[in-house]
Order: sequence, then structure tokens, then C-alpha cells
Amino acid sequence: MSRHLSDESLLRLAQGGGASAERAHAGECGRCAERVEAARAGLALARRADVPEPSPLYWEAMRRSVERRIAQEPQPRSRGWAWLAPLAATAAVLAVVVLTTGRTHAPARLPVPTLPAWSALPPAEEDVSLEVLEGLTVADGDLGTLDEGRGVGAFLAGLSDEESRALADSLREAGQGGES
Amino acid sequence: MTSPTLALPLGLAATAAPGGSAASPREAEREAIEACRRGEREAFDRLVERYQRDVYRLCYRYVNDHEDANDLAQEVFIKAWRAIGRFRGESSFRTWLYRIAVNACLNFRALRRPVTQDLPETLADPLPGAAARVETDDEARRVRAAVGRLPEKQRATLILKIYHELTHEEVAEILGSTVGTVKANLFHALGNLRRLVGEEGR
Repeated sequence: MSRHLSDESLLRLAQGGGASAERAHAGECGRCAERVEAARAGLALARRADVPEPSPLYWEAMRRSVERRIAQEPQPRSRGWAWLAPLAATAAVLAVVVLTTGRTHAPARLPVPTLPAWSALPPAEEDVSLEVLEGLTVADGDLGTLDEGRGVGAFLAGLSDEESRALADSLREAGQGGES
Repeated sequence: MTSPTLALPLGLAATAAPGGSAASPREAEREAIEACRRGEREAFDRLVERYQRDVYRLCYRYVNDHEDANDLAQEVFIKAWRAIGRFRGESSFRTWLYRIAVNACLNFRALRRPVTQDLPETLADPLPGAAARVETDDEARRVRAAVGRLPEKQRATLILKIYHELTHEEVAEILGSTVGTVKANLFHALGNLRRLVGEEGR
């Protein structure tokens, strides 16, 4: 063995162990032997450093002190419910965000009347089909009667789901026909 | 050297199991931990009684002062009580407790100036044999001061391995390192200790 021994090998030798090859190397290598000796001396020194023993009464006093402080502490939290904490925190944060956002970023008031939330149609300002609608004859009996006084938006808002879908399909077909 | 091993208090050494047979210390400890998790403070008192010497000595090795070691050791137990609901039993209770203690000591040292201990002035003691004892005490003091000057990882490794006789694996678990690193740190700690004690003695 020509290379120097690893720290782990040197530690084994310092503690009185080590393989025969390691011992043989340390016997021939001055540097490794010196390091083993330094660690051995350090070990002997470390073992001579006692901690001063407190008074026998100290342990009882310390125990009582810990006992008193523990009595003022709340019950330790069981791990069984610990997973709820981050969940509850997330829910609370979400609730705050929703409430805050709802108050500070209230949607701008759209031209009345607006489409109901369940409508299959997109909002009027995004609905390119409305341009097509203008070119249609409203006399189509499937669309029902259009009350001029209520306007197109009110008419659309009054449609049922089924009627909304039928109208959307009609508009889509009309749009495709126009493109072709 | 004072033995670092545990003197088992009766509360944990011979707890009667429900079936009538005496529970082993290990089983008694597990039962005490379970009782603590249910909030039974008396059970925690038994754990304190069992580990207070080890925790105190570990803290003392770090701070070299009885008052500070006492404060730290008590703090370790309070932290353990607060966290015992999260103790999963994957490591031994002792390893878990030592980890809390090492962290508490490191935090303490980080917040305070480095601990240095003045070497005693010439001491005269008229009692026979006192001179030899003073010499021994003086040497122990110098070694403890030198341990306090070791780099953090080396000091922690030396304290846990030499004074608390933990295995390399346990030390690695407490310090969050590998067994190879623990061995290397211990080797360097021993070499540095000899050098530092030599410097102290000059």
C-alpha cells in the first residue's frame, strides 16, 4: 500500500483497530504514523475531560422546574390532525383572496341586459356572430317573437338552454355558410 | 470519567405491563412516549428523569457553564414536549432528543459570543492530594475549553461520539451527514484537540 491511509483508516488505527494492511502501512509511513499518534493523543485527552457533576439535589430541582413549565404548556399537538393545518391555512388564504378580489375588482357594469351565466353564447362584445345576426331575417318562426321594445339582448336573455343552443348552432352554421 | 450511560429511573425500568409482566425499559419508554402524545404530563416527567443527565452533559460540553447548561437542558425538554406529537419513532427517542439538544446548543452559541474559559490562577490547597486533583481539574478545564474551540461539526461529532458513545450512524442521523463524514470529522477533531490543548498549555 503506497498511498497514504484515509481518515477513516487512520481513525480505526487510533482507536486500536484497523486491518493488518493498514497497520503495516502505518508502520512504514512516517506521515500516517504521526497522524495516528496525534489522534490517539487527542482521544486520550478527550477522555480525561469530565463534566463537573452538579449537586445530587440539582437533578430533582431541574425535573421539578421542567414539570412546572410543562404544566403551563398546551397539550402537544397530535400528528393525526397536523395535516389539516396547511389545508386550513390554504382555505383561509383563498377565502381572503376571493373576498378581496371580489371587492376591489368588481366586474365593470356591462350594457344591459347581459347574458345569463348559463348561456351557451359568448358575451356580446366577443360574439362575432352578432354581425351575422344583423343580416338574418327574424321572421324565422323558430326564434319566436321579437319584442322590439326589449332589444336583442333581452330577447337572448329570455331564451331557455335549449333555445340558446339551437340559436348558437344556427348562427354557427350561418357563419360557416358565409365563409364558404 | 463519569459514565455517560443512563441510570434508569424506576419509573421506566420496571413498569408493570397490563398483562402483569414487567415491561422492558424500551417498551416502557415507548409507552411513556405514547402517553405523552395523549397529553399525559406525568409520562413526560419519566422521560425527563431518564434523560436529564445526558441532555445536561451534552449542553455543558457546548457552553462550559452550569447555569447556561441548565437553561439549555430545560429548554430542550420543553421543545421536546411541544414536538412529541410529531415524533414518528423512525429514530430512537434518544437520537431525536439529542438532535433537539444539538440544535439548541448551536443556536445558543450563534447568539452568544464564543465561550472562552479563563484558566485558573495558582491554586493553593492545604489538603493532602488536593494538588493532584487541581492539576486534573485544570487539565479537564483546558480540554473542555479546547473542545469549545473546535469547528462546529468536529465539536458536535466529538461530543456525541466520545462523551455520549453514540454509534457513527446515530451521530450521522443527528447531524444530518454521512457515516464517512462523521468518521473524518472525528479523526480531525482528535488531531485538532491535541494541538489546541498544546496551545492552551503554553
